[in-house]
Amino acid sequence: MRSALKNDQENDQTPIDDLIRSGYAHGFVTPIESDTFPPGLSENTILKISAKKNEPDWVLEWRLKAYRRWLAMEDPEWAHVKHPDIDFQSMSYYSAPKKKESLNSLDEVDPQLLEAYNKLGIPLEEQKALAGAAVDAVFDSVSVATTFRKSLADAGVIFCSMSEAIQKHPQLVQKYMGSVVPYSDNFYAALNAAVFTDGTFVYIPQGVRCPMELSTYFRINEANTGQFERTLIIAEAGSSVSYLEGCTAPMRDENQLHAAVVELVAMDDASIKYSTVQNWYPGDEQGKGGIYNFVTKRGACRGKRSHISWTQVETGSAITWKYPSCLLIGDDSVGEFYSVAVTRGRQQADTGTKMIHIGANTKSTIVSKGISAGHGQNTYRGLVRMSKGAVNARNHTQCDSLLLGDQCAAHTFPYIEVMNPDAEVEHEATTSKISDDQLFYCRQRGISEEDAVSMIVNGFCKEVFKELPMEFAVEAQKLLNLTLEGAVG
Amino acid sequence: MLRINNLHVKIEGKQILNGLDLTVNAGEVHAIMGPNGSGKSTLSHVLAGREGYEVTDGQVLFNAENLLQLSPEQRAHKGVFLAMQYPVELPGVNNMTFIRESINAIRRARGQDEFNTLEFLQLIREKAAQLQLDEKLLKRNVNAGFSGGEKKRNEVLQMAMLEPQLAILDETDSGLDIDALRVIAQGVNSLRSAERSIILVTHYQRLLEYIQPDFVHVLVNGRIVRSGDKQLALTLEQKGYNWIIEEDAA
Amino acid sequence: MKSPVQNAQLQTPQQRQQLQREWFQQLVVGAEVDAEYDPDWLLPLREKALQSISTLPLLNRKQEAWRYNRVDNIFQNSFDPLFDNDLEQKICIEDIGLPAIDSYRLVFINGRIDLSLSELSELPAGVILTGTAEALRTIPDQLMSSFDHLHQPGEQLFTALNTALFNDGVYLHVNQSVTLDRPVEIIYLNNNLTRSEQHVGSMIQTRNIIDLESGASATVIEHFISNNKHEKYFHNNFTDINLADDSRLRHYRIQDESRLAYHLSNVQITQHRRSRYFSTCLAFGGLWSKSAVRVEFQAQQAECDLLGLYTVGDQQLTDFHLDVQHRVPSCRSSEQFKGILYGRGRAVFDGRILVDRQAQHSDAALTNDNLLLVRDAEVNTKPQLEIYADDVKCSHGTTVGRLDPEQLFYMRSRGIAEHSARKMLCQGFATDIIESFELQQLRDYASEKIAHTLNSVESEMEHKNGH
Ligand SMILES: Nc1ncnc2c1ncn2[C@@H]1O[C@H](COP(=O)(O)OP(=O)(O)OP(=O)(O)O)[C@@H](O)[C@H]1O
Ligand SMILES: [Mg+2]
Repeated sequence: MRSALKNDQENDQTPIDDLIRSGYAHGFVTPIESDTFPPGLSENTILKISAKKNEPDWVLEWRLKAYRRWLAMEDPEWAHVKHPDIDFQSMSYYSAPKKKESLNSLDEVDPQLLEAYNKLGIPLEEQKALAGAAVDAVFDSVSVATTFRKSLADAGVIFCSMSEAIQKHPQLVQKYMGSVVPYSDNFYAALNAAVFTDGTFVYIPQGVRCPMELSTYFRINEANTGQFERTLIIAEAGSSVSYLEGCTAPMRDENQLHAAVVELVAMDDASIKYSTVQNWYPGDEQGKGGIYNFVTKRGACRGKRSHISWTQVETGSAITWKYPSCLLIGDDSVGEFYSVAVTRGRQQADTGTKMIHIGANTKSTIVSKGISAGHGQNTYRGLVRMSKGAVNARNHTQCDSLLLGDQCAAHTFPYIEVMNPDAEVEHEATTSKISDDQLFYCRQRGISEEDAVSMIVNGFCKEVFKELPMEFAVEAQKLLNLTLEGAVG
Repeated sequence: MLRINNLHVKIEGKQILNGLDLTVNAGEVHAIMGPNGSGKSTLSHVLAGREGYEVTDGQVLFNAENLLQLSPEQRAHKGVFLAMQYPVELPGVNNMTFIRESINAIRRARGQDEFNTLEFLQLIREKAAQLQLDEKLLKRNVNAGFSGGEKKRNEVLQMAMLEPQLAILDETDSGLDIDALRVIAQGVNSLRSAERSIILVTHYQRLLEYIQPDFVHVLVNGRIVRSGDKQLALTLEQKGYNWIIEEDAA
Repeated sequence: MKSPVQNAQLQTPQQRQQLQREWFQQLVVGAEVDAEYDPDWLLPLREKALQSISTLPLLNRKQEAWRYNRVDNIFQNSFDPLFDNDLEQKICIEDIGLPAIDSYRLVFINGRIDLSLSELSELPAGVILTGTAEALRTIPDQLMSSFDHLHQPGEQLFTALNTALFNDGVYLHVNQSVTLDRPVEIIYLNNNLTRSEQHVGSMIQTRNIIDLESGASATVIEHFISNNKHEKYFHNNFTDINLADDSRLRHYRIQDESRLAYHLSNVQITQHRRSRYFSTCLAFGGLWSKSAVRVEFQAQQAECDLLGLYTVGDQQLTDFHLDVQHRVPSCRSSEQFKGILYGRGRAVFDGRILVDRQAQHSDAALTNDNLLLVRDAEVNTKPQLEIYADDVKCSHGTTVGRLDPEQLFYMRSRGIAEHSARKMLCQGFATDIIESFELQQLRDYASEKIAHTLNSVESEMEHKNGH
C-alpha cells in the first residue's frame, strides 16, 4: 500500500535501492610478486604442483587417480543456478606469493602481505590477533602464516597448513584425507583432490579442549587463478574445537572458481564447531565477475555422542553451491546446520545440508534462513535420511525465506527419506516479506525505515547468529547490515 | 496543539472520513466513541502516518505544523504516539532492544543524549513495575505470541517510556482484565500534564470512569456528530448510538 | 526362477534402457485402436504420439518425477494392449461393495464403456455425459482443445502412449450455470484379460475430459477397482479438466486397484477466474501406483484444495506428485496429504508450489504427514517451494513419525487396549481427510476401508507377537 504523500514514497525507495547498490569493501588487489603457473590443466600440471610441494608419492598418485576420475565426470546440472560453462583450461592452478624457502616466523612474511591482511581486518601479528584466536591465512593457493603456533603446540594441538601437514604428519593425513569426502564424491571434489594446493590441517588429541578459537582466512588475490584448498579437522575422543573461516577476494570482471573441500572427523564424545563467514566478491549489479563458490563440506560423526555443528553466514560469491553435511554414524551423535544466506544483485545461492542418520538415537537440527533482494536467487536444498539402523533418530528442520523486493526468488527443495519407523522427522518452511504493518509499527515508534528493516532482518537471522562465536556474531551482523544496506521499500 | 479541519480520507477508493473537525489543546483528554467501522482507527492511523490512506481534503496541524507531510518516524520524533488497536508482532526482534532503539532514535532526533544501557534498564524496570508488566515479556520478541491483553500493556509501557506529547490510544482498554484496566488507567493518568494531550478511542464508558475525559466526541460515518462532556458517554452507554444517528440524519 | 526385481538388478543400465524402450514399442505394435471414427484432427495427433514412443526420453531415476520410484520393475512385465472388454462372468455392480449413491453412473470394463451397467437416464438439460469414444464420434469439435496441452516432463512417454492408444474414457460437459443435481460416479473395473501367454495382464488406457462452463458445478467420483485382489493389469489414465469462470468441481478419486495392479493417473486441471476445484484422493490398492496432479491457475481468484490419504502395505509402492502453478495473482491453493504405512512398502510424495513473478498475493500451503507403523517401510517426501514473487503467503510442512507413545500411554491408562488405541489414533490421523468428503456414504466407505486395513494389521501383529 502506498501513501498518497509523495515524499513518503521517496523515503520508501531509498533503503532498498541503497541495499542493492551498497559496495563491496574488500575489493582491492595487493600488488605482490607471485609465482603463478600458466593457465591449463593436465597431468603435467598436477606433476608440477606435486613437485613444487615436494610431496610423497602417495599424494601424487591420489591426485592422479582423482584427475582421471574427474575427466570421466560431468559438471553437475541439478543445482538451481545458471552460469556459463567453466573453461577449466583457462585458469591457473597454482599461485603463491614469492617468498623464502621456508618461513620460520611472521617476521619473514612479506610486509605487503601482512598489510593486505590488516586491511581485511585480519591482523596476523600475534599480539594484535583477534582475542584468543589463532589464525591461518591462505593467500591464493598457499598458506602464508599460522599464528599462535607455540601455545597450541603446548596443548598438543596441531594447527598448520595442509602442505606442512603432509610433510610433518604424513601418517595422519594419509589416514584421514579423502576418508570423509572421497575424490570420487562429485565433480568439484574430484577436481579439488587433483589440484589442491594448500589448506588447513587441525588435529586435536584425545581429551584436549582446544585452548582458543582456530581460524583460517582465505583470500584470492591473483587474477585467473582457481582456489582449491582442502581443510581437514580431526577431533580425537573427548576433544573439542571451534574453528572459523572467512573469505574475501578482489573485485574483478571475470569469474573465479573456488572449489574447496572440507573434511571433519569427530570420534567418541568429540565436538567440532565449524563457522564460516563467506564474503567472496559477489560480482557487480549486472552480474559481471564474482566468485563461483563450489564447495564440498562434510563431517563424519564417527564416535558415540560426537557432535558436529556447521554455522554459515553466506553473503558473498556470484554463485554459492555448498551443502555442509553430517554423517551421523556413532550412536547418539548430533549434527547441526545453521545457515544465513543472502543473495542480492545477480547473486545465486544453492545451499543446504545433508543429514545422514545411521546410528541409533542420532539427532539433527537444521535452521536455514534465506534472504533474497534485488535479482537474487536463493535456494535451500537439503536431504534428511533416516537409515534402517537409525532407531529413535530425530530431525527438525526449519527453512525460512525472506523476500525483499519483487525481482528476487526463494526456493525450498527438501528431500526426506525415512526407512525407520522409530525415527521422527519434522520439516517446516515459510516464505515471507517484511510487512507494511511491521514497518509502520517501527516507524511509529520513531525508528527509521532502514533501521527497522535491519532490525527485522536481524531478528529473522537471530537463531543462526546466536550459534556463532561472540566476535563473529557481531561481525556477521555488521556484514549483513552492510550487505542489505537500504534494501526495503 | 492538534487541529483537524474538514478531514476527508479514502481507503481503496472508499470514503471513510467525511469532513472531520477536531481541536485538542495542550493538557486535554478527549474520548472518541462511535459504532464499529465509523472510522476511529482510520483517524488514528492517518494521524500517525500509516500508508494506504488517501487524504482527499482537509488539513491536520500539529503545533502549527502540517502533520500530514511528515513521515511516521518524524511524527514520532515530534511526540505523536499511537497505541494500536491491533499491535503488530515482530518475530525475532527482542522487545527490550526494540524499545531502546525507539527511545534513542527519538532522543537523537531531538538532539538529546541517548540513554546508556544502565539508565535505560532502570527506566524500563521502573515503568514495567508501575504497569505491573511481567519482566519476562521484556525479554521476549515484540508482541510475538503475547496474549491480547499483554500486547495492550506492552503498548502502554512504550507510551510511558516515550513520554509523547500527543498520545492516541486506540481501544487500549479492549481485552484487558479489570485489574489491568485500573493499572493502565493509572499509567495514563500519571502521564497527564499541562503539556500533554491524550485521545482515547474506546467503546466503554468504564474506562472513562478511571480516566476522566475533558471532552467526549461521537464519530459516525466519518464525522464527529456530537461532542459533550463525560455525561455524554453515560448517555451513550444507556441509549446506544441510534438516537444520535437518527437525530443527525434528521 | 528369479523374481523380476532380481532381474532388474542383474541388468546393466544399457540393458534396462533397451528393455524399457522395447516395452513401450511392444505395446504400440500389439495395439488395436478403433480409430475408424476418429475425427480428422485426432489422427495426426495419434500418429505423432505413436512415433514419439521411439524417440521420447526414457524414464530414469535421475528425473525428479521418477526419483524414488522403482521404475524398472514395471518393465519386467509385458502387458497386452487390449481392445475388447469381454469378461467371462456377468457383473452386477451392486455386488461389488461400493457405497450406494444416488448418482449418474458410467461403468468401464477394461477401459471400455459398458452401457448396460451404466445409469445415464434423466440427465438434466445442458449436460453431456458419455464415453470419450462416443463423444469423438458425435461432437468431435468440442473435444479438440482438450488435446493441445503440454504434458509434464517425465510423464511424456505414458502420456504419448495414452494419446496413441486410448479407446475410451469419460466425457463430461456441463453448460453455463448448470448444476448437476446428482454426483457422477465413474467405475473402472479391470481384470487381467490377455490374448496370449506371453503377457501377464492387460494394458488399459483411458482418456477423460471434464469441461465445466462458467458458473457450472458438478461432483465426480471415480472408483478404480478390480474383479478380485489378484488381477494383474496396468491402467494408464489421463484426465483433462477445464474449469471456466466461477465453475466448481468436487472430484473424488478412490484408487482401490488389485494388489498386483499397476496404476498411473495423470490429472491436469486448468482453472479460470474464481473457479474452485476440491479434490480428495484415496489410494489403497495397486502394487505400483502413481498419481500426478497438476493445477494451473490461468486467471485470478481461483482456488483449489487437494487432499489425499494413502495406505501402504507389503510390497506396495504409492507415489503422489502434485504440482500447483500460480501463474497469475491472487489465487489460493492448499494441499494436504497423509500416509499410513502398515507394511513393507514405500510411499513417495512430491509436492511443488510454483509462484511466478507476476503472481503476487498468492496463498499456498502444503502439508504431508506420514505415520510409519512397521519396520522396513519407507517414506520419501519432497515438498518444494519455488517462489518468484515477494508478496505471497507460502508454506509447507512435513512430518514422518510413528504413533505418539505418550498418546498411546494416555489412552491405555484410561483402560483402552493397546491395539484399539493404535487403531483409534490412526483413524484420528486420517479423519480430516475423510471428513472432506461431502457425501456421508463416501465418508463411511472410506472409514470402513481404513478400519478394515488397520484391523488386519493389528491381527497380524498379534499373530506375530503370539509366536
Ligand atoms: N484496508 C482497507 N480496505 C477497505 N476498507 C477498509 C480498510 N481499512 C478499513 N476499512 C473500512 O473502513 C471503515 C472504518 O474502519 P475503522 O477501522 O476506522 O473503524 P473503527 O471505527 O476503528 O471500528 P472499530 O470500532 O470496529 O475498531 C470500515 O468500514 C472498514 O471496513
Ligand atoms: Mg478501530
